[in-house]
Amino acid sequence: MKENSSDGFDSLFVKKRSGTKYIILIILFSVLALTSIYTYLSVGSVRDRMKTAQDQAIGSPQINSSLFTQLKEKAWVESRLKMASGDSIGLSIDLEQHRIQLELKGVVLLSSKIRDASISGFFRKMDGNVYFTMFGTPLTIQQFKLSIPKNSFKIVEAPKDTIAALAAIDAAMKKDSLKDENVFWTVKLDRKFDLNIQGIDSISEAHNKYKFGKGFEFERNLKNITSSFQHILKFSKPSYTPEILISIPENEAKAILRALPRKAMVTIKI
Amino acid sequence: MIRNFFIYLAVLVVGILFFASMVLFVIPAFQESTVALVGLSSGSSGSGEEGNDKASIEVDISKLEKKLDSFTPTNAYMVVNTSDNHFFLYKGRKLIRDGICSTGKNEKLVSADRKYEHDFYTPFGVRKILRKSTNPVWKKPDWAFIEDGLPIPSANDPSRWETGTLGAYKLEIGDGYMIHGTIYKRRMGMSVTHGCIRLLDDDLEAVYKTMEVGSKVYIY
Repeated sequence: MKENSSDGFDSLFVKKRSGTKYIILIILFSVLALTSIYTYLSVGSVRDRMKTAQDQAIGSPQINSSLFTQLKEKAWVESRLKMASGDSIGLSIDLEQHRIQLELKGVVLLSSKIRDASISGFFRKMDGNVYFTMFGTPLTIQQFKLSIPKNSFKIVEAPKDTIAALAAIDAAMKKDSLKDENVFWTVKLDRKFDLNIQGIDSISEAHNKYKFGKGFEFERNLKNITSSFQHILKFSKPSYTPEILISIPENEAKAILRALPRKAMVTIKI
Repeated sequence: MIRNFFIYLAVLVVGILFFASMVLFVIPAFQESTVALVGLSSGSSGSGEEGNDKASIEVDISKLEKKLDSFTPTNAYMVVNTSDNHFFLYKGRKLIRDGICSTGKNEKLVSADRKYEHDFYTPFGVRKILRKSTNPVWKKPDWAFIEDGLPIPSANDPSRWETGTLGAYKLEIGDGYMIHGTIYKRRMGMSVTHGCIRLLDDDLEAVYKTMEVGSKVYIY
């Protein structure tokens, strides 16, 4: 009687354990399946983006590939000239010369050396026609996303008397003007890619500063994960946006950000 | 039962972390790989652009560059960076002086009764020197009294006239904005002005002597 009951108990335990195993396997399989589906959809989104770029270039004048370097230089200067004909401050980015400039009516207001830059593989795969469709004329900023306010404007109530006015001046003098800010901003450009600018004071900072949750990058990563889940649940392709990431000194990143109008023009040479 | 629950939870957490790391690191890398990035060719490239050869394109580039260069003034001009409160003075395209300045504090002053508002900022863009003068006398506008907690006097009240506040020179750039000196030297390099560009005495003298009426001031 005892032996029988002991056998029954053991067999029950084994069944339970194998049940646990199955559930674990199901969870792992589900995760792998979701990841595979998402990878497949992600690759599809890249190809869709490339197809769009190719379609936009169809019908543009043929480019002699042996003259690509010269034609690229010509397009770059032409694009800057177009930007100079406007009344607004614009941005020119020369990734070949590692230089980013604020320009107004053709006059260089600020010129900064790019300390570090990376571009999506999408841009490396462009042929001449796709390149000129993308960068042959100035681009226009569609949207800003910022880690610091673009132009902070404070509202101050007038003091009631001279004593309050003096106290306000004292308080303003005591304010710490050296704020430690992470300067990172992204602009969406009208040809469906993003330009990311980060302020850094050293190259190692460029690689590490925003990687471990210092605000902006963390928020972006979190959004990526949540939107990925949404796409998987809907079995829809995630959007693929090619990116250019540029690292420049922090005070210059801040100055450029504050100077650029909301719909500023940008010229880029890759 | 509880033990199993924790096992499932642990597996689920590991699964989520795995998925998150794939989404953040592996899939983006995969998207950038040659597997995903098939050749991005429009299929229309060839030996086209008839009449275009290397030499003629280079001539075109040279012409365009000259045209672009012609936008930069050949006489004196000034560039003001309001973020760093720094100015640059150029003559014949050569930087001849730079230094700290003070620019607008980006504030809106509102009177207690809300009847009066005034914005203090330095406007961006390009302006010209309209007038120059030495030993300027400042006619204090209404906001100067409101900001000091004083009653606003009549338009020509003697208390409106102040000497020395603007330094030895002033250069007007329109809409009431000026380049001038200051008695508040400790606050140079800070965004503290009501919109004008304040310079230190020596810099102001150099700017006054270099810039002519009509010279351009680029502000960003």
